[in-house]
Amino acid sequence: MKIVIIGASAAGISAAKTIKVAEPDTQIVVISKEDSIHSRCMLHKYLGHERDAKGINFVHENFFAENNITWLKNTTVVDLDTDKKFVRTNDNQAIYFDKLLIATGASYFIPPIPGLREAKNVYGFRDLKDAQLLDSECKTAKNAVVIGAGLVGMDAAVALLERGLKVTVIEMMNGIMGLQLDEKSAEAYQQLFEEHGAEFLLSDKVTSVNIDEAGKGRTIHLASGKSVCADVIVIAAGVRPSFDFVEKSDIATKNAILVGDDLQTNIKGIYAAGDVIGISGIWPNAMKQGKIAAINMLGEKLRYEDRYALKNTTNFYGLTTLSLGNINPKPKESFDVLIREDRNNYQKVVMKNGIILGVIIQGNINSTGFWQYLIKNKIDVSGIDKDVFDLSYADFYKVDSISGEYLYAI
Amino acid sequence: MKRIIIDREKCDGCLNCNVACISAHEEGSNFYTVNLGSVDSETRNFIKFDAKTGYTPIFCRHCDEPECVLSCMSGAMEKDPVTGHVKYDESKCAACYMCVMNCPFGVLKPDNKTRTKVIKCDFCEEKQDGPSCVKACPKQAIEVKEVSR
Repeated sequence: MKIVIIGASAAGISAAKTIKVAEPDTQIVVISKEDSIHSRCMLHKYLGHERDAKGINFVHENFFAENNITWLKNTTVVDLDTDKKFVRTNDNQAIYFDKLLIATGASYFIPPIPGLREAKNVYGFRDLKDAQLLDSECKTAKNAVVIGAGLVGMDAAVALLERGLKVTVIEMMNGIMGLQLDEKSAEAYQQLFEEHGAEFLLSDKVTSVNIDEAGKGRTIHLASGKSVCADVIVIAAGVRPSFDFVEKSDIATKNAILVGDDLQTNIKGIYAAGDVIGISGIWPNAMKQGKIAAINMLGEKLRYEDRYALKNTTNFYGLTTLSLGNINPKPKESFDVLIREDRNNYQKVVMKNGIILGVIIQGNINSTGFWQYLIKNKIDVSGIDKDVFDLSYADFYKVDSISGEYLYAI
Repeated sequence: MKRIIIDREKCDGCLNCNVACISAHEEGSNFYTVNLGSVDSETRNFIKFDAKTGYTPIFCRHCDEPECVLSCMSGAMEKDPVTGHVKYDESKCAACYMCVMNCPFGVLKPDNKTRTKVIKCDFCEEKQDGPSCVKACPKQAIEVKEVSR
């Protein structure tokens, strides 16, 4: 059997690995627009000159050769024929398949703000190529503006600060990393970034960008009337699934490629996984989707059930935070919001009727993995007679007597 | 594969497993010289205890379907196809701590000193005679056994 995988990030690579372990004789072709494998979660380490391109590779150096996988790098897919079962590449090759996995990820989005899309010094922070372009700008630029204070924006900011640029971060919400943090935990990070030289313009938004003779965006105007000077602009205002090449085909889409629980599209034998299916934007879920799609392409009938995606860990300047679920409940009064803190730690648990809905653990995140299990499985902890902050896996301890693996006693 | 099999009933919380683990991962250290007060002294196994549940050994299972490996964005966590053990490569790790979040049993933790790496059981793979914690347990509450996978 011949399986073609489009995309070589978390979902695509995870699928290729899974297939090679389960059925090593399967012929695999991986098509990727990049010429190197890299983890986008480590781009800040590349831009900050902590690691080179090799250092942000998340597979073995000779992954494709070792696994006997054909890798078409620097190649994009421009068209898909679902009847004759082939994809057409930008260099006009027709690559036939028995099964296809679409793992093309997502691309950054530049909001339609006057001047922003036209400016030649506006970059996303999504692929190695973006980081390389930013890297060369950093050689001369002094002032960097980051639009969007989500995780990607803060990753970019940390690297630009590392490179010695003056960094201003503009954010519409009133705090940074608004999806992952509450007010208190966000302030802790904001303070750290400020100590390292960053400036924040919160609860504000870009209204226009003035472009100079060289085509570069130089002055950024904000709704508040303020303006900021920029030599380089990083846009981190969200991403959109990338699936242009299926638009002429009969693959069903709705802002993303639509898939069933088995991660198969509406066309039999064609699967999709990762950011392109638009149901979660985080690495562990893309890996799991790639794995499940791969197993299903080999004829099994696994379902993608572990869908929980409201989860993240953050580590900036050595301050670590775990955040899960609904951490800013509204209205506050109808939830139990419990807080425990000391000078190094801030912990918050959001509950309702004994079910934990959200958790923030900032500071010491040792052994906190069990929280996700409790939240995603809606486990009632009201019967456990102890402070909720003292819960651990020990309260749910159970061992499989044959394998010795841990289970949950609930 | 080999796994450390736990008998919770036998554990009396002496923490010899912790000391053995710390010592095993500290160069030149032994039971008598190990400095338990050092910030570098980190155990990879844990005993949780409270009045209700008693002593609970929390040891890395080197799971058949390791969530830490699936969540790793740097390639630092890998399941060894030969031994079945989940190996951790500190030089690759980017300290994002997705693995800490994704281990359903709360086994993993950042290092206390720098928060740049993960503290993870390596099954004392460099030692000829197996995991140091097992050798140090006076109650045989933990034992290495061959399990199928």
